[in-house]
Amino acid sequence: MLDLIAPHYPLLDLIFIGTGYALSQAIVFRAGTFSVATSGFAALGAYCTAILTVKAGWHPALGVFCGVLLGLLSGLLLSAPLARLRGVYQAIASLAFVEILVALILFFEDLTGGPLGFHNIPRVVTPWMLFIAMVATMALLIVLGKGGIGRAFDAMRQDTPVAASLGVNPTKYHVLSFALSGAIAGLFGGLDALRNFSLTAEQFGFSILIATLSAVVLGGRRAVWGPLVGTTILVLLPEIFRPLADYRQAVYGLLLVLVMAFLPFGVYDTIAMKLHNRRLIRAGMLKPKAGS
Amino acid sequence: MSSLVLKGVGKRFGGLQAVTPFDMEIARGKITGLIGPNGAGKTTVVNLITGVYKLSSGSIKFGTIDLTEAPRHEVARAGLARTFQTIRLLPDATVVANVMIGMYRHQKASLVSQLFGLPSSRAETRRFRDEVYHLLDRFGMTKYADYPAGALSYGDQRRVEMMRALALQPEVLLLDEPVAGINEIEAAKLGEIFRKLATEGQGMAVLLIEHNMRFVTSLCDYVYVLDSGILISEGSAEKVVNDPVVVKAYLGDDEDA
Repeated sequence: MLDLIAPHYPLLDLIFIGTGYALSQAIVFRAGTFSVATSGFAALGAYCTAILTVKAGWHPALGVFCGVLLGLLSGLLLSAPLARLRGVYQAIASLAFVEILVALILFFEDLTGGPLGFHNIPRVVTPWMLFIAMVATMALLIVLGKGGIGRAFDAMRQDTPVAASLGVNPTKYHVLSFALSGAIAGLFGGLDALRNFSLTAEQFGFSILIATLSAVVLGGRRAVWGPLVGTTILVLLPEIFRPLADYRQAVYGLLLVLVMAFLPFGVYDTIAMKLHNRRLIRAGMLKPKAGS
Repeated sequence: MSSLVLKGVGKRFGGLQAVTPFDMEIARGKITGLIGPNGAGKTTVVNLITGVYKLSSGSIKFGTIDLTEAPRHEVARAGLARTFQTIRLLPDATVVANVMIGMYRHQKASLVSQLFGLPSSRAETRRFRDEVYHLLDRFGMTKYADYPAGALSYGDQRRVEMMRALALQPEVLLLDEPVAGINEIEAAKLGEIFRKLATEGQGMAVLLIEHNMRFVTSLCDYVYVLDSGILISEGSAEKVVNDPVVVKAYLGDDEDA
């Protein structure tokens, strides 16, 4: 059995880390903020961990811990200007944040290796560690989603003024969602750095931002399982479609379009809703819609 | 017995005097009415009370609490709940989830215990759920508990909004046209509930904004009438309805007839 899985370890790594990033993205969505800053937080976590581990000679675990703290802190800072914006303007501002970070990484060559990248990072992270980090993060998000924080996030996402009229302080939960998003992305950025021997600025640029966003849209935005499902599909898809390697990007794009058109809530959430409705119909509380 | 007191409250949008400064008292244990033709500024008054708009003049006090400058969420935490003229539910969330959010004011579990789902936070969620089911029962909505709120009929959505406001266990309840689009029989049922809310137990201060004159006169202990943002009459429902100024505002001048 192990022989079957072992060659695919790199794929598992990608799924676990990608899911971590997607969870960081999903948490701000859940709180109703259209921010795409996740890859920026991840870059901060990754470079912080790499610099502390390689240049300062710290223990890798301590490096990752500082990466989490840096992600959390930058999340707190970024939440202030983004709180003044709405919808697509938040997306543009957070995109600018990511691009500025990438530019800074390229600029500070002494610290980051600049365009040549940051190399000779010890590879100390195993797939198991990534798996545990992913499960722990999912568990945290499931638990907090079931309590008062989840209720406040849900209310804010659907109608912020109404949430406020019920006593929810929007600023507090906006800041909280960014702190969580930053910490989660910082964690997986740090782990990513300790897995891959090297880091480059492009790794955290526009393409990963799109991949993370796609994973959340594809998998589903509401349930914590959505990001895992979405990331898994996106990682495995190119493998399954190897015969179509030349058309990989086209297949990928087509799939996203199809999902958005026919499963607007993402794969997981749509199925969960269908099952929920079916249960209601069975219980006689909902009339079956014609054609479904 | 603290009541909600508005003193000299006015609102100006640029050059438009939306509400001319006026005084108002919403007393505990009573249903206070606020009526007036379309565009009279009734909803603006609710928005001023709940901190949606900043006051241009005057002050708002609830007992000893000064709400003049308070942002929305602090107004709610002080014990003021409102419903909206156009229903504003969380359409994707179930009925239970919608009402649960109203319990937010009573949340005591710390952020940390919520973050990690510690027993205190979980116990609170269970307690809230029980209370929500009590409310559902009272409004005869138990069968819709797991129904997405956006899929309910209009009247039922109104009920969900009402339950959500009541979940706050407010001391002041601001109802912005709660029976608009609901038939007379159903409206009368809701009216009974409002009456009970005002008189039973501690008694809430209820402000009822309404178009339906019959509904207002049958329920309200005291009525304020607004027209073009100006308070034109106040007093008992009977007095106000027969006030020539009010009749004129609603039906126009005799000379036009």
